[in-house]
Amino acid sequence: MTARPVRIDQVIPSIVERDAVSHHALEAQRVLRSMGFVSEIYACTMGRELAGRVHPLRELPRERGDHQWVCYQASIGSPAADAVASHPGLKLVNYHNISPAELVERWMPLLGEEVRLGRKQLVELAPLVELGVAVSEFNRLELEEAGYRRSVVAPLTVDTANFDYPPDPRAAERLRAARSLGGHDWLFVGQMLPHKAHQDVIKALVCARRMFDPDARLHLVGRESCPPYADALRRYVAALGLTGAVEFAGSVSPGELAAYYSTADVLVCCSDHEGFCAPLLEAMHHRLPVVAYGVAAVPETVLDAGIVLPCKSPVLVATAVERVLTDRQLRHTLVRAGLERTRAFSVEGARRAFAQAIEQMLQAT
Amino acid sequence: MSSEVVAEIEEQVEHLRAAGKVPPGLEDELAERFEEIAEASLAAVASASAADSWIGAGSTTGGPQSGPSLAQLPRRASMLARKRLGPSVRRLERRATLGAARAGEAASTRVHVTADRLERLAAHSPLASRALSAARAGEPPRGFSGALHPTIEGPLLAWVLEHLGGAEASEDAPELGRLVLHAECGDGRVVEALAARGLDARGADPRRSSRASGDTNIAAAGALEYLGATPNGTLDGLLLSGVVDQLRPGAARALAHLAASRLKPGGVVVLVSARPEATVAIDPVAADLAPGRPLHPVTWCHLLARYGLTELGVFEPDATDPDVFAVSALRPLSSGLFGEVPR
Repeated sequence: MTARPVRIDQVIPSIVERDAVSHHALEAQRVLRSMGFVSEIYACTMGRELAGRVHPLRELPRERGDHQWVCYQASIGSPAADAVASHPGLKLVNYHNISPAELVERWMPLLGEEVRLGRKQLVELAPLVELGVAVSEFNRLELEEAGYRRSVVAPLTVDTANFDYPPDPRAAERLRAARSLGGHDWLFVGQMLPHKAHQDVIKALVCARRMFDPDARLHLVGRESCPPYADALRRYVAALGLTGAVEFAGSVSPGELAAYYSTADVLVCCSDHEGFCAPLLEAMHHRLPVVAYGVAAVPETVLDAGIVLPCKSPVLVATAVERVLTDRQLRHTLVRAGLERTRAFSVEGARRAFAQAIEQMLQAT
Repeated sequence: MSSEVVAEIEEQVEHLRAAGKVPPGLEDELAERFEEIAEASLAAVASASAADSWIGAGSTTGGPQSGPSLAQLPRRASMLARKRLGPSVRRLERRATLGAARAGEAASTRVHVTADRLERLAAHSPLASRALSAARAGEPPRGFSGALHPTIEGPLLAWVLEHLGGAEASEDAPELGRLVLHAECGDGRVVEALAARGLDARGADPRRSSRASGDTNIAAAGALEYLGATPNGTLDGLLLSGVVDQLRPGAARALAHLAASRLKPGGVVVLVSARPEATVAIDPVAADLAPGRPLHPVTWCHLLARYGLTELGVFEPDATDPDVFAVSALRPLSSGLFGEVPR
């Protein structure tokens, strides 16, 4: 049996503020420290605001012996994976999923290669890793497929600070003023990346405006991380004559985000790939019904607390949204189920699950 | 509950379609429109990249009158095929896009190799030099911040020899015959040290004239120029210094590409450079006005990994000089990143 380690450090390719994987790593550090381990985070790149809390990867201690373990936060291809592979201590991989290359490489060839590298590194790490910790069952199955001998699920520690942030009054006022003109407000929250398939939400909005709700609006909230894709979406919206009906809100403050959640009528998600999809839970917390395309980990995150569609034909999505907006009983049921669902992802629960995974590894070694 | 509701919604959609309440062809039209715009956006990005390249891509052929209708034909054909054959055509298109991206990358590497050669020739021809200077008005000549290049000596030299040359030359001479290149090699002292270890050591430097004496064999060529003329899978070891501190925009990618493809399986690349923050701290004006500047170690790791090299490591070989770092990487014995030899 291996001795209990003194320290469990984490390695992450990139860590920045207001990012789900970064927030998870900081929460995991809290858990590890509360369990009595020395725990630091080492990153290839870090946001300015995290300087001092996170160390450059080259400072990762590499002492031989059992007293030092390392946990890799895997979400993309990175030289950080090689640093973990060559580390002398026992290893864990905390897997957040890696988007399939074919969904992004058309727009972002470099990102396509990074995610391809990420999946290759995930497989290469498998024989070296004692335990894979996945943030969803969907991700755990991918770990199993990649050759991980042992894997468990410990949910993502969702940034609940955003949940109860007071809505920004000016943003809320502006959005309410638009509502007074009639029509419902659709919302999608997520980085503007090709695999989030914003164009499919726009297509559904067109159908909804033609068939049910001529004044419906769509708010797209999230950082524009792929300029050519964002440019194409803008041109698409202009070509469809929807310039006044679709808002490109970009990256917003927590208060502004709360304003969007509190004034919208429905969250519509047509992503082609999600390893977890935290905005679904945020929407549920804000009593917003969810209509989502059931792909990757989305059905597991939503369960029966939203409308999960088997395909995303624009007419089907538009009809589902219309049903949610007009069927008061259904809306009430979904809101109640959504609130219940968010409780399953409490920070305490996620922390407990991560601590249990570590305990399991301690027992096994 | 959700599945029952979804079944009801699907049924409702069927009724709407049957009753003619779904505008006919709307969904196809929306899909086609987005594909058209996506293609145009991607084409705009590609042409902007070509215009940004160091050597111009040249003007397009055909005037505005001859273009539009002909240009629309392939797109129309593509739309029709996509409509009829669906996902398989999209897969083929994605592969074609990726293939085009890779071909573009290979072309960009060739452009940088040619630029490297022209730059060296210009250094020896007053006429060409004047033309090059006029074309790059306001820029100081290359080598302006040459004083910032790390000198490979002392502990740094020992580290480089250990990584590229293995143990001290012995009677067994285990390294004998291994082909190692130092680009850019300056006065060739590292080449001589490598040759002394029994390696077949070559050097390349654009500021030196070609010479071959005793064990040293140095060519008057830039790193990109020399590597561009070297066949794939030739080198057992490659040392990059000097050039990596002052690369033209886009040339780092070309250099990483060439380095990865010219190594034999199992070959090692070692790169010695100054930290970018150090060069700015020493002389911010020189750093800002230089045609290029050093890259961070993580960027080199990223580029080398991108072209299939593994076992990446970042080192500070000389404890007395933290402003100098080295990166080493290995070409795996099996295959490249995509299961093929990088080209």
